[in-house]
Amino acid sequence: MLRVAGTSNVGKVRTTNEDALVLEPQRGLYAVLDGMGGANAGDVASATARAAIIEFVAAHGDDMPPKQLVEQAIQHGCAAVHRAAQERTEHNGMGTTCVACLLVDAQHAIVAHVGDSRAYLHRNGRLQILTRDHTIVEELVDRGMLSPDEAERHPYKNVLSRNLGARVDTRVDLLELELKAGDRVMLCSDGLYGYASAEAIQYQLGSDDDPEHVANDLVELALRGGGGDNVSVIVIEAPPAAPSSTQLVRTSGAIGWWQHRQKFMQAARDGGLARNPIVRGLDPDEALELIALNLCEAIFHDLEKSTGVNVWTFAQNLAGGWFERGGGWTALREMVDILANASRVVVDAIRAADGELGFLLDVAVGRALVVAELALGGLLAERLRTMDADLIALQTAMQEADSRGEGPTAEDERDAGIDTGSRFIEQPTVPFLRADRPATVPGTSPEVLDAITKTLTIARARTAPRAELVREVLTALDAIAPDGGPEGLSTATTAARELYGVRPVDEAGIMPLFDALDQARIITTSSVHQIGVPDALRAKTLRAISVGHQRLVTAITTIVLESVAPISERLREVAADTSTLRDEVAAAERRRAELERKHAESIDHSLPWERRGTTEW
Amino acid sequence: MSETDIIESVRVLRDEVLATAEHGDRDPPGAEVFDALLRALMIGGESLSSGLDLGLHDAVARRLAWGDSEDAILTDADLVFERILTAAERAFRDPADRLVIIEASTQVAVTVARVVSLAAVQRAARDRAARVREEMAQRQLRGVLQKQRASIVRLEQQTGDDGEPR
Repeated sequence: MLRVAGTSNVGKVRTTNEDALVLEPQRGLYAVLDGMGGANAGDVASATARAAIIEFVAAHGDDMPPKQLVEQAIQHGCAAVHRAAQERTEHNGMGTTCVACLLVDAQHAIVAHVGDSRAYLHRNGRLQILTRDHTIVEELVDRGMLSPDEAERHPYKNVLSRNLGARVDTRVDLLELELKAGDRVMLCSDGLYGYASAEAIQYQLGSDDDPEHVANDLVELALRGGGGDNVSVIVIEAPPAAPSSTQLVRTSGAIGWWQHRQKFMQAARDGGLARNPIVRGLDPDEALELIALNLCEAIFHDLEKSTGVNVWTFAQNLAGGWFERGGGWTALREMVDILANASRVVVDAIRAADGELGFLLDVAVGRALVVAELALGGLLAERLRTMDADLIALQTAMQEADSRGEGPTAEDERDAGIDTGSRFIEQPTVPFLRADRPATVPGTSPEVLDAITKTLTIARARTAPRAELVREVLTALDAIAPDGGPEGLSTATTAARELYGVRPVDEAGIMPLFDALDQARIITTSSVHQIGVPDALRAKTLRAISVGHQRLVTAITTIVLESVAPISERLREVAADTSTLRDEVAAAERRRAELERKHAESIDHSLPWERRGTTEW
Repeated sequence: MSETDIIESVRVLRDEVLATAEHGDRDPPGAEVFDALLRALMIGGESLSSGLDLGLHDAVARRLAWGDSEDAILTDADLVFERILTAAERAFRDPADRLVIIEASTQVAVTVARVVSLAAVQRAARDRAARVREEMAQRQLRGVLQKQRASIVRLEQQTGDDGEPR
């Protein structure tokens, strides 16, 4: 339901309130008028225009298109104020601003304005101004005669270029607005935005309070900011979006499921869970708690978070533990069937109480059970793989034994009735479990390819002409992103080498490349939001581009590492040479010391000092 | 899904993405990338820019200091990136949530590559300087060796010991 509230306050300085509000929910018409003119004429102007506008809309509301209706109503108000100003001398020169919002239906509105009263739109936490003030200074800026900086300092910055009353008619600016769930449109006089910051207004409009509280808080805000003028505010709130099916499952669905846990356990008990070999030896209540309650909780958490992680883990633990103990498949199958039937009982109970929620839970719980089956399938496949590897090892051992002549001869085998043909296949029999299988990268369907091309075209258009390197990165992405398979890696390497080119191996050489890669990432990410495709396809497209981007970045980093490797290698070589030299010096020193010692021993101490001979180095 | 919910849901994927079970109590390889992803999601929203994640710089520097190679760090980051995308594809049903995670993951992957490259070129600069020092040391050593050899030749003449076994 659409909610609207409006309030007006005289402020802290003025003695009269020259603002007027139009709150006509039956007609969907809301407006703020800010009167002006000496000798109390301001309030007369706004009240006159208000009455004329309401009267016009009441008379022509059913026979005029909405846009024309609101424009004509304001023109009617303008004529009425002009006429009143001519009738009495003390009202000469009076006028009023007007910002109006006519709600056509729950999704469409027309915003019309004259003067400097404003309309704002608060959507998804962001505040956006919908109107442009009709002041002389603004119009001079529009014509290029003043810069925005000069406009800020201009003495006539508050002088209106248009209002209702100065002339018999005026030009009305109109805007068609498409309302989205949760949008808030605010109409206000300059007494609000002149005394409250945009951030504070944004904060108040973004609060969860109802429009009445928000309007009062906004007025309070302006009063705290000085309240130098009359303050008037109208807040119009579009109805919130109906919760999505995902939200329903995550909230009501998860809670409903958890509330039925006793029913789930009872159904599991009735299904014979406590008699299953997997829980043999356990007390029935303990078995139920261990298996049924745990799965119930795992499903609850997965519903709550829209994931499948908990059920996956539960199934892996259950089956993994059972297989480790040497358990067979039949008991596990029976156990899973019992739990699936118990789930069915709970879903049916919820469906009986609430058909829609029951249907959604049926899908969500069904999906959780599929996740459990997938986990079991994975474990079984793993067991097969292990068995396969064992068999191959066994065959290899036998072949080796045969080649050494230790195994049974062909005659022995024929006598024993053994088929010595291809008893085993030498390759693993579950090829999809090979560790080196290529990762499946979604995103190469024609739709995705088309979306990638569009995204990169937009990205190129948004790249500054001088950003050559960024453009080169985008061209490289064009080549890499469509190929999500292993071939894409070689494409990425080739593209990376071209991009890297010849550059010094230091920060000044490398960092511009990474800056360009980052810039390209930011541009492509925002461009992907601009292509007109469903969100699921958008996500696939971004994934494909991101994988390409990551491959390109990795390839470039690998080249950087390759480039620095010779430097480190050279250092190692030089260090090894130094080490050899040190060894040589040490050996020479030892030899020299030895010779010195010998020489000292051979000296005739009876000779004078200068004839003894000496060593020097 | 709100930002907080996304972060919580991504946190749940930690064990799966990092294969923590294989690494016991130790931090699994690539943990720094996963943590950086959580930080990116925390500060992210629509304005994921190439912020300087000092935590990631620090974590990479620590791994390098413990002797991990740049190649190893890069390989771990690649693996984590790939696993996150795969896990997100499965775990998040709302494409808008997947978009947020892909965006943040790519940012982190690019940042890791940048940090690793930066570390490598800085190491190269240090290696170049070290090589110059080594070469200077070699010049000095050669000078010393030359003098030693001259001294040895003279002493051998004086003592009659040419080093050959007699």
